[in-house]
Amino acid sequence: MAAPDELFCWEGDWGLPSVSTDCLVVLAYAQFAGAPLKLRKICNPWRSPSGSLPALRTNQKKTLSRPSDIIVHLRKRKYNADYDLSAKEGADSLAFISLLEEKLIPALIYTFWVEPKNYVDVTRRWYAEHMMFPLNFFLPGRMQSRQLEKLRLLRGDENLEAGEELEKELYQDAAECMNLLSQRLGSQKFFFGDSPSSLDAYVFGHLAPILKCKLPNGKLQQHLKSLDNLSDFCSNILLLYFPRDGRAENSGEKASPQPDAADFDSVPNKRRKQFLSALFAFAAMLSYALLTGMVSVQHVHQEALEEPPDPEHIGSHEHEEEGDG
Amino acid sequence: MSLAAEAFVSQMAAAEPWPENATLYQPLKDDQILLSDHASSLAVQAYLRMCGLPVQVVCRANAEYMSPSGKIPFIHVGNQVVSELGPIVQFTKAKGHTLSDSLDDVQRAEMKAYMELVYNMLLTAELYVQWCDDATAAEISRPRYSSPYSWPLGKILAYQKQWEVRRKMNAVGWGGKSLEQVYEDVSQCCQALSQRLGTQPYFFNKQATELDALVFGHLFTILTTRLTSTELAERVKSYSNLLSFCRRIEQTYFEDKGS
Amino acid sequence: MGTVHARSLDPLPMHGPELGVQADDIEAPEIEQEPKQEVLENKDVVVQRVHIDGLGRTKEDLLSYEIAEVFRANNLIDVMRRSHEARQKLLRLGIFRKVEVVIDTSQGEDALPNGLDVTFEVTELRRLTGSYNTMVGNNEGSMVLGLKLPNVFGRAEKLTFQFSYGTKETSYGLSFFKPQPGHFERNVSVNVYKVTGQFPWSSIRETDRGISAELGFPLWKTNQTLKWEGVWRELGSLGQTASFAIREESGHSLKSSLSHAMVIDSRNSSILPRKGGLLKIHQELAGYTGGDTSFLKEDFEIQLNKSLIWDSVLSASLWGGLLLPIGDKTTCIADRFYLGGPTSIRGFSMYSMGPQSDGDYLGGEVYWAGGLHLYTPLPFRPGRGGFGDLFRTHFFLNAGNLCNLNYGEGPQAHLKKLAECIRWSYGLGIVLRLGNIARLELNYCIPMGVQSGDRICDGFQFGAGIRFL
Repeated sequence: MAAPDELFCWEGDWGLPSVSTDCLVVLAYAQFAGAPLKLRKICNPWRSPSGSLPALRTNQKKTLSRPSDIIVHLRKRKYNADYDLSAKEGADSLAFISLLEEKLIPALIYTFWVEPKNYVDVTRRWYAEHMMFPLNFFLPGRMQSRQLEKLRLLRGDENLEAGEELEKELYQDAAECMNLLSQRLGSQKFFFGDSPSSLDAYVFGHLAPILKCKLPNGKLQQHLKSLDNLSDFCSNILLLYFPRDGRAENSGEKASPQPDAADFDSVPNKRRKQFLSALFAFAAMLSYALLTGMVSVQHVHQEALEEPPDPEHIGSHEHEEEGDG
Repeated sequence: MSLAAEAFVSQMAAAEPWPENATLYQPLKDDQILLSDHASSLAVQAYLRMCGLPVQVVCRANAEYMSPSGKIPFIHVGNQVVSELGPIVQFTKAKGHTLSDSLDDVQRAEMKAYMELVYNMLLTAELYVQWCDDATAAEISRPRYSSPYSWPLGKILAYQKQWEVRRKMNAVGWGGKSLEQVYEDVSQCCQALSQRLGTQPYFFNKQATELDALVFGHLFTILTTRLTSTELAERVKSYSNLLSFCRRIEQTYFEDKGS
Repeated sequence: MGTVHARSLDPLPMHGPELGVQADDIEAPEIEQEPKQEVLENKDVVVQRVHIDGLGRTKEDLLSYEIAEVFRANNLIDVMRRSHEARQKLLRLGIFRKVEVVIDTSQGEDALPNGLDVTFEVTELRRLTGSYNTMVGNNEGSMVLGLKLPNVFGRAEKLTFQFSYGTKETSYGLSFFKPQPGHFERNVSVNVYKVTGQFPWSSIRETDRGISAELGFPLWKTNQTLKWEGVWRELGSLGQTASFAIREESGHSLKSSLSHAMVIDSRNSSILPRKGGLLKIHQELAGYTGGDTSFLKEDFEIQLNKSLIWDSVLSASLWGGLLLPIGDKTTCIADRFYLGGPTSIRGFSMYSMGPQSDGDYLGGEVYWAGGLHLYTPLPFRPGRGGFGDLFRTHFFLNAGNLCNLNYGEGPQAHLKKLAECIRWSYGLGIVLRLGNIARLELNYCIPMGVQSGDRICDGFQFGAGIRFL
C-alpha cells in the first residue's frame, strides 16, 4: 500500500482538532471517508509545502492547498464519503456548499479577524501565543490584513471598515444561512441519511469554530446555539470522530477555572500596574521639578525662640516667582 | 445596500404601486456589455416579466458607475434605485409581488441554496473566462469594456477592471485554477442544475420562481454569446433538459417582444 | 573715496506673504541727502565691472540679462538707482534669499579715475526646502507636505511637489516652472496632479487626474497664457441620497482642452485695491485634441476701482461666462458654472443657485454676476496706522443670474432669459485683509429676487477666499 499522504494543518484548541475552517473540513472528510493521513499539526505556515495551511503533500510529491482539491484527490484514491449519495443529493450538496461560501464565510472572517475586540482579545492572542518567535510579532498582523482584503473583495467594496452596520448585515446573512441549514437538516443525524458526506464536512468545518470558540462578541454563537439541531450535529461529529480532542477540551475545562480566575486576576493586576505606573510618573515629575529648581525645599535654620516661617507662604511666593519666569 | 437603507426602501416601496415608467439600466448592448453583466441583466428582466411588472430597458455607457452598489443591473422605480437581483426581489416583495410564496420552508432553503450555487460557480466562471483568460480578455473583454471611452482612458479603465477581477479570483481561491478546471466546474454546476430540474417544467414544478429567472439569465446568455472558444456553450449544451428549459422560458416570457 | 555700501532702499523684503503694512501703500523713501551729494551727482562715472559673489549652482548667463542695465549708468545716483532695480530683478527670479549691493571705486591696473565696481553679494536659496502643515476644514483634516527645489538646473527653474493626505481624500501635485533667461515674464510650466474634492451642494465627488502645460508671455500691456490640459475626471455621487440627475453624471470622462487667457491688471493690489482696473478674459476649447468632451467655454472678469474722499473706495465688478457644447452630447456637470455664496452673490448659500434637482445643484451653462462695493475705513478708526488698517467696512450690492440656454433660439431670446429671474442682494460687512492673497468677510446680507429652489443665507454670512465678486 502506498505511503499515506501528509496533511499539514493548524493546531487545535477549544476542543477542536484544528482552529482553521479549511483544515477542519479536510480533517472531517478524511475521518468520514476513512482516509489514512499522516497529520502534521503545526503553527508555522512557512513550514508547510505550499506556504499556507491546510496543505496536502501527496506521495507523488504534489502539493494541494484548496479543500475542494484535496477532497477530489481523496475521492480519486477511493476514499469517497459521497459514494452513497444519489445524483440529486449530490446536486444539493453542491448548492448548500455554495450557500456556505457565499453567506457564511464573510461573517466568519468578520467575527474572527475584523471585529476589533474579537481580533485583539482572542484571535491575535491565540496566534501570537502559539507561533514561535519571531513570527508571532508580524505574522498575525499580516494574516489579518489579508483576511480584511479578502472580505473587501468578496463584498466588492474597497473602503470597507469594521462597523456596526456591516456587522449587522453580515450577521443577518449568516443567521439566514444557518436557519436554512437547520431547516434542511431537520431532525436527521446527518444531511443525507445516516452516514456523513462531504456536505457534512463543510458544515462542520464552518460551524464548529463558531460553536466552540468563546469570543467577546458572540452574536453568531448565540444564534447557532439557539438552533439545537445544528449544535447537536457539531457536537455529535466531535464526539464520534474526534474523541481525543473533545477529551482534551474536558481536561482543559478543569483547568479553565484557573484561567478564568487568571482573567479575574488580571483585573486587580491591571489595577496594581496602573497604580505603580502613576506613582512612577509622579515620582519622575517630582524629581525633575526638584532637579531643575522649579520647586525647591528650603531648609531654614531657626533660632529656638523664633517662630518657624509658614511653609504655605513660602510655597505661594515661589509659585508667584515661577509665574513671572 | 445597508440594512437601514433597506428597511427604509421597503417602507417607501410598500407605499406606492409599481409605476408605468420603471426603467432598468445596463451598459450599451451592442458594443459594451460583457457576458456576466448581460446574464445578470437578463435574469432581472426575466424575473420582472414573470411577475408581470413592466420595465423599460435603457442602455447607458456609465451604468456601472450609476449603480448604487457598482453592479449591473439596477432599476429606477419612482424615486428609488435598487440594484442586483437579490435586493430587487425583496423590493418587489415589499410591493406585494412575489413568486416564491407557495414554497414551503425546505423548498425555500433549496431555492436559496441553488441561487447561491449559480452565483458561486456560474457567475464566477463567467468572470474568470472573461478576465483571467488572456485570449478572451485581449480579444473581447478589454476592447468592449473600453469602447465608450477615448484613448487612453479606455485602456486604463479596462486594465483596472481586469486587475480588480483577478484580485477577486485570487481571494476566492480561483486564482490558481486552469481554464480546463473552470470548464469542469461549469459542467459540475450544470449537472447539479440539470439533476434538480429533472423533467419538470420549472425548478419547483409548476411555477416559475426567481431561481428559474436566474438560471435562465445565465444559461441563455452563455448559449447565445460569442466568445473566443465555444467550449463554455458546449458544456451547457450537453444537458438537454437545460436547453429545453431555456427555450421554454424564452418562448413564454420573451417571445411577444422578441429578445 | 570710501566704500559706499548701498543697503536696500525699501524697508521690507519684497517676497512672501506677510500680515503687515503693505509696501505699495508706502511711497518709496527718499535717498538721504549726503553733504557731498551735489558733487557726486554731477560727477561722471563709468561702471567698469559688475561682480556677482556667492553663486553656487546658478549659471552666470542667466544673470547677465538682469544686471546689464547697470553698465549704462553715468552718474553715481544713477548707478545706485540702477543697482536697486537690478537687485529687484534678481530677487524676482526667486532663487536668492538675499541680495546686497556694494559699490566701490575700481581697483587694479586698468582702473579709470572715475571708474566704479559694483558687486552684488547674493545668498542662494537652499537646494531643497520642505514644509509641513496640517489643515482642518469642511469636515476633513489633512496633512500637507510640500517640497520645493528652487533653481534646479541653475537657470531659475523651479520644481515643487505638494502632497496632501486627508481623512477622506488624498491629493498631490508636481509642477515644473522654467522662465526664459532674460525675460522672466515669459515662462513655461508643466504640472501633473491628482486632486479630489467633495461638493456637498451637488452631492457629488470629483477626482481629477491631469497633466497640463502652460506658456505665459507678456504682450504689450497684457499678460497672455496659453495652456493645454488633459484631465481624467471621475465623478461619483456623495451619499445614498443623491438625486438621479446626479447619478446620471457619475462615471469617467477624459477632457483634453486648449485654453487661452488674457489679463490686464493695473490695480495697485489684488486684495482691496484702491485704484486701477482688471480685465481678465479666458476661453477654453475642448475636444479637438482628443478626449470625450467637446465644448467651447468663455468667461470674463472686469473690475474697476476708484478712490473717493475720506479714504473710501468705490469698486464695481462684472463677471460672466458661457459654455457652448459642440456636438450632440450634453455638457458635463464638472464643466458648468456655479453661482452663489460668500465669494460671489452674497446672501445665498455656497453655489446654491440656479438649476437643481431634488436639492442637488446642477450648475448652469451661462451666467452673469455684478457687484458694486463701497469700502470705507472702520467707523471711529480704531487702531489707526497699525492693525486697524487691515479692516475695512463695505457696503455692497450684488446681482446675477445662472441658467441654461436653449441654443436654438436667437440672441434676443437668450438676453431675455438672462434678464428674467435676476437674483440680487445688498448689505454691509467688515473685510479683513490677509497679506496680499486672501480676505475674510463677515457680512449682513439681505437676499432678494430669490427663485424657488435657491438656498439663501439670510443675515450674517462669513466668507474667506481669494477671488470675490
